[in-house]
Amino acid sequence: MSSKNHRSHNAQEVLSRLGKKLSRQIAGSMVACVHCGMCTNSCHYVLANPGDPTYAPAYKADRIRKLFKRHYDWTGRVFPWWVKAGSVFSDEDLEELKDTVFGKCTNCRRCSVNCPMGVDLATFNRMARGLLVSVGIMPEGVAVVSKDQWEIGNQMGVLKEDYLDTLDWMSEELQAELDDPAVAIPVDKPDCEIVYSINPREVKYDPRTISDAAKIFYFAGENWTMPSEGWDMTNFGLFSGDDDLGGAVARRLFEKVSELRGKKLVISECGHGYRSTRCEGPNWAKFDVPFEMESSIITMLRYLKEGRIHVDKTRNSEPVTFHDSCNNARSCGMFEEPRELLRLVTTDFREMYPNRAENFCCTGGGGAMSMSEYTPRRLKSAVVKANQLKATGAKVVVTSCHNCVDGLNDLIRHYKLDMRVTQLVNLVANALVVPARVAVPAGGPPEIPGEAVEAFAAERPVLADRTIVVADDEPDQVTLLATIFEDHGATVYRAYSGDEALEAARSRKPDLLTLDLAMPGRPAAEVFEMLRKDAGLVDLKICVRSERPELRQTIYEQAVRPPEGYLDKPVDEQSLLRSVRKILELAH
Amino acid sequence: MPKTTAERVRIGRSSLRLIRGDITELDVDAFVYYARHDLTLGSGFGTAISQRGGPAIQKELSQLGPLETGQAVATGAGKLKAGCIIHAVGPRFNEADTAGKLRRTVLAALTVAEEKGVKRIALPPMGAGFYAVPLDLCARVMVETFQEYLQGRTGIEEVVLCVMDQREFAPFAARLALQEA
Repeated sequence: MSSKNHRSHNAQEVLSRLGKKLSRQIAGSMVACVHCGMCTNSCHYVLANPGDPTYAPAYKADRIRKLFKRHYDWTGRVFPWWVKAGSVFSDEDLEELKDTVFGKCTNCRRCSVNCPMGVDLATFNRMARGLLVSVGIMPEGVAVVSKDQWEIGNQMGVLKEDYLDTLDWMSEELQAELDDPAVAIPVDKPDCEIVYSINPREVKYDPRTISDAAKIFYFAGENWTMPSEGWDMTNFGLFSGDDDLGGAVARRLFEKVSELRGKKLVISECGHGYRSTRCEGPNWAKFDVPFEMESSIITMLRYLKEGRIHVDKTRNSEPVTFHDSCNNARSCGMFEEPRELLRLVTTDFREMYPNRAENFCCTGGGGAMSMSEYTPRRLKSAVVKANQLKATGAKVVVTSCHNCVDGLNDLIRHYKLDMRVTQLVNLVANALVVPARVAVPAGGPPEIPGEAVEAFAAERPVLADRTIVVADDEPDQVTLLATIFEDHGATVYRAYSGDEALEAARSRKPDLLTLDLAMPGRPAAEVFEMLRKDAGLVDLKICVRSERPELRQTIYEQAVRPPEGYLDKPVDEQSLLRSVRKILELAH
Repeated sequence: MPKTTAERVRIGRSSLRLIRGDITELDVDAFVYYARHDLTLGSGFGTAISQRGGPAIQKELSQLGPLETGQAVATGAGKLKAGCIIHAVGPRFNEADTAGKLRRTVLAALTVAEEKGVKRIALPPMGAGFYAVPLDLCARVMVETFQEYLQGRTGIEEVVLCVMDQREFAPFAARLALQEA
């Protein structure tokens, strides 16, 4: 019970901890606001909700500022009514604050750069998040991801064996593609020029970014490696405001690179990962970093300028635009390098307006993609970004951030834009000109023996003897997947609802079930849990599919074994087969 | 000069050892999982337990919860190398009397281990990390509790403190050195 005379334990803790967080920067931001309103129109939430003043940055800042005024500033103690000082008394008050600091701001810092007084709302919004997290008040998704990063070492709970298995798999794919059995992704190789760190999303949902980077390193002749541990360069501490988590994660990465005696840490394309690792990490971790750190954007640009790789830009001829990640651009000043690289590997680059420091957030930043309870707000505010994208006329939006990839994909589907999202690493890899390595003999290529040709022709289809249930309420999707699987030898059963999927799984005992997460009727999370708890289906592999990334969370929050795979919608044949073969652990 | 760090100390007839590693992969009679009140495995080590151990563990847990802070229960360990898992619910997120509650939680876990005939048990830094128990307090309370418990009559021969990284290793190593001195 709480009243104005009695404060809850959590409220008291938050107020006590606030005092310890008051750095000069934060105190300055607390007192400097003159409520001029310059920040208001810089916020995508305000622009999408013009009639709702609770989204205004100054209003949101005042929810936190009133605590400072009341408890740490003399003006609030002397005339609290004048300076609008206030306090928190109960856990309900803290829940209300949670709704503001997690649900109405992505910490994109666009208001900060537009404030003539230098008020950095994003910094003290992050601080307020950290205060709430310290007493356990946070969105469930933030808790899930933070705990994974604390205890597993990466924010998506990728186990070490799965990570190493994915690197092996990518190595095998590269060997096949480049016809070179020597090509491999080196792990824990000491004394390399480059230690390459990645976002766990790449392992879990987008391994092509890993193989594309490996291909670029291969053609550049780089002496590089990936670490077996401490490989996650993302840092949920940036989003949750938990400096202890920020320090622990950064320190694991720094210590691993030091242990390997790497000369340079290269950070794959991820805005918050780059900011957390290169800019904030050394302070959070109190670590004197003995090596250089570099974004992979700079690495790729350097390879091109040094002539270590060669590209044919006509291979990327679709009209492209570039979305500046808030963390890369506004917070770390990386504006021109991605554009320079983009112009070298594409033929039709169109600038988006506004851009660089004034670009709008993808709306998935600040950890928003993990907070499914705020999805409707997020997608409503995304109309600003959607209009920006549409005006470019581009077919491809390029970004250097995995959060932005998910955020942009989500809004592109929601607003039905005819665009796709990709990253620089994919475009560079696609444009790579492969140097000729094998000279054809003067007498022409060697003749292939007849029995080898027959053996090749008689090769078994890759999904032969496999049974797959495809569950999706959209008939076109079912037909697409079923056709691809059947063409490759699988026996396929079709299901158009969660109940049909359950029935088919129980009666057909498939090897794999692809489960759409947005079918009407029984919720997909419930279907998934029932499948997992069914004693007759312990060997069933499940691949969830969705065009809404935030729905993944509903699956991973279940207290059962997570799915073996995840596929975006739409998916191309090659990606689909690659993922399914991986899930079924077939030979490649 | 007295030692400032130690990785192994003897207490009574038992030993207390500090290692770096993944607690869910240890070949011990039991390891402790810092559980939720509702005994849902959830994320973090819960992900590792459910993925590596299989669904039987969560199924068993569904018959045992919920637990109050300071209580512990044991389940099988599924396909994991450990003999069993002790699920202990401890203090979290800077709640009042964190030290007292943590001590009771560690004792509850050891008591359950004793009842199961466990000789070799591994524990993580209980509540440190996600649940925000300060690392120094965690190291002090845990080592003091082991000291108190292992000097009495016990069948536990070895307690393994399994930490993830150097950041966790340092305060425990310092505390063990004090213990040794």
